[in-house]
Amino acid sequence: MRPDTHPGSLMARIGNSALLVYAVLVLAFLMLPLAIIVPMSFSDQPYLTFPPSGWTWHWYEEVRNQPRWLTAAWNSVRIGVPVALLSVVFGTLAALAVTRSGSGWSKPFSLLVLAPMMLPHVIIAIGLYPTIVSLGLAGSYLAIVIGHTVVGIPFVFVTVSAALKNYPPTLDMAARTLGANGWKTFLRVTLPMTWPGIASGGLLAFATSFDELMLALFLTGIRTETLPRIIWDQLSFALTPTIAAAATLILLLTTLLLGIASLLGARRSRKGE
Amino acid sequence: MTAAKLGSKLTFENVAKRYGAFTALEPVNLVIEAGEFFALLGPSGSGKSTLLGMAAGFVPPSQGRILVEGKDISRVPPERRNIGMVFQNYSLFPFLNVFRNVAFPLEMRRVPKNEIAERVNRMLSMVRLSHLADRLPSQLSGGQQQRVALARAAVYDPSVLLMDEPLGALDKNLREEMQDEIKQFHAKIGATIIYVTHDQHEAAAMADRTAVLNQGMVMQCGPQSQLYEAPANAFVAGFLGEANILRVAEVATEGYAARVKSVEGIELTAARRTANGASLVACIRPENVVVSKTPLQNANLFEGTVVNVVHAGGNIRYRVQVNGSCCFIARTPTRREHEKHQQGERVFVGFDPEDTLLIPE
Repeated sequence: MRPDTHPGSLMARIGNSALLVYAVLVLAFLMLPLAIIVPMSFSDQPYLTFPPSGWTWHWYEEVRNQPRWLTAAWNSVRIGVPVALLSVVFGTLAALAVTRSGSGWSKPFSLLVLAPMMLPHVIIAIGLYPTIVSLGLAGSYLAIVIGHTVVGIPFVFVTVSAALKNYPPTLDMAARTLGANGWKTFLRVTLPMTWPGIASGGLLAFATSFDELMLALFLTGIRTETLPRIIWDQLSFALTPTIAAAATLILLLTTLLLGIASLLGARRSRKGE
Repeated sequence: MTAAKLGSKLTFENVAKRYGAFTALEPVNLVIEAGEFFALLGPSGSGKSTLLGMAAGFVPPSQGRILVEGKDISRVPPERRNIGMVFQNYSLFPFLNVFRNVAFPLEMRRVPKNEIAERVNRMLSMVRLSHLADRLPSQLSGGQQQRVALARAAVYDPSVLLMDEPLGALDKNLREEMQDEIKQFHAKIGATIIYVTHDQHEAAAMADRTAVLNQGMVMQCGPQSQLYEAPANAFVAGFLGEANILRVAEVATEGYAARVKSVEGIELTAARRTANGASLVACIRPENVVVSKTPLQNANLFEGTVVNVVHAGGNIRYRVQVNGSCCFIARTPTRREHEKHQQGERVFVGFDPEDTLLIPE
């Protein structure tokens, strides 16, 4: 929306130009790491250089040929998918409860559900780690799935709450009088109306798990290490462009997922009208 | 249900609703006859929607029972009550087309596919929307959407059809058109209809009987003419049409009449009425008040000044100040040869004792 000044006035034109410059600068700042990491992954030098002196696909082949990278990639998917599914179930239930209860507890409850999004992951990790150890789950697949679900739930909670905000409660009442019980009402009416929100929340939860380092450092073991964890490990002794290549691949996948999520968001807001 | 598609009798038996210390609805007893068009009329917060929600099954009563044809349904969940409901915001499923919306309740009842098609089509032609069966609700006008909602709520022959201010979102002209539409629809399907509204004209235009609610209590229940001519109390008198209402300070019975003195010091003669206990008001309808330049024969006659004249529709509405604190409103049909009064004019206002009702406050 444009500022409410006279469109032709000098002040308005200066204001608009300043705004444009500001937006470009912010975007540039955000994109700069990407503009460096991607070219670095094609560098013909055996260490991280920028700008690269020559171009090669070699580091991508390196990633493909090293079983450790492939295992880590598979681990990331194997962790991310159940994390997304669990987050969808718990996040959606929480959003439904908060939207429909009308109880005075729903505000503090929402804050509690959202807390993992605000808290530094290192704090969650420090809290989770002793618990996981005392449960005898240290280094297990279940441990990291639990950890990432904790940080995945808020994403689903936020997107589904937004979808439910435009959802008239009389729609459920109508379905009930027409003969649908609670479960059928959810499947036949609520779900078709809110699935874009649910799905984009699930994608965000997956992307979060796929990118997450801090919890992975605490909770993964040798058999469950994820891509971000390997990158971290490699950074400390071998600064080869393989890292940049792996990072670029993660970047591509994450961008793709976020793209889908935002398309779903657009679909949702169009429907909401 | 293949035989005569008559609706069922619905009984509210001593039902009340309390939320903690707050009483949303005092104990109510109402019997709505099979096939009757029954209106629940009242301002917002009067308890009419609570009553409707109880019939639908969304509001569990704190006490009492709700019966359909003598069978207690108070504990039956909404989806098994076989009651239809039409909402103010239509509440059509936006992702289903018109046909699928109307088919929804039949699908829930596992009606065979070909029978669904037949019944939906019959219903759509009844509300004259057959040509729009493939449209999505968002592609329809408000009136059309409400007709789809009507078809959807009636296609499964519900025992009772509940309507919660169904025309509230429509503009005035369309509203009157839809009133006729709903009346005709009622005549065709013969359902029992409970219609919630805050618009007395809507209730008057459509309902066989009306229950007037205020502050969680049923004030009066009966046909519109009775509510208007013999209001049970000052609230009903004021809510249905206009009324001159004077709070009574003293009453003395004189044979068939009663001498009354209002708190403003106005003395008048009313038809005798033995309302015991409660404090009384005198109620005179504006159309029973006559305004004239010359003194009239009426037993209740006052001299005053015209302070306001409004020409509305076929009526002229005068407001006449008779003493420091008391005004009478008079309404007379416009006729060219009748004398007209101007603002500031000295006039007489008169009305008969039999048009002066003594009713509880």
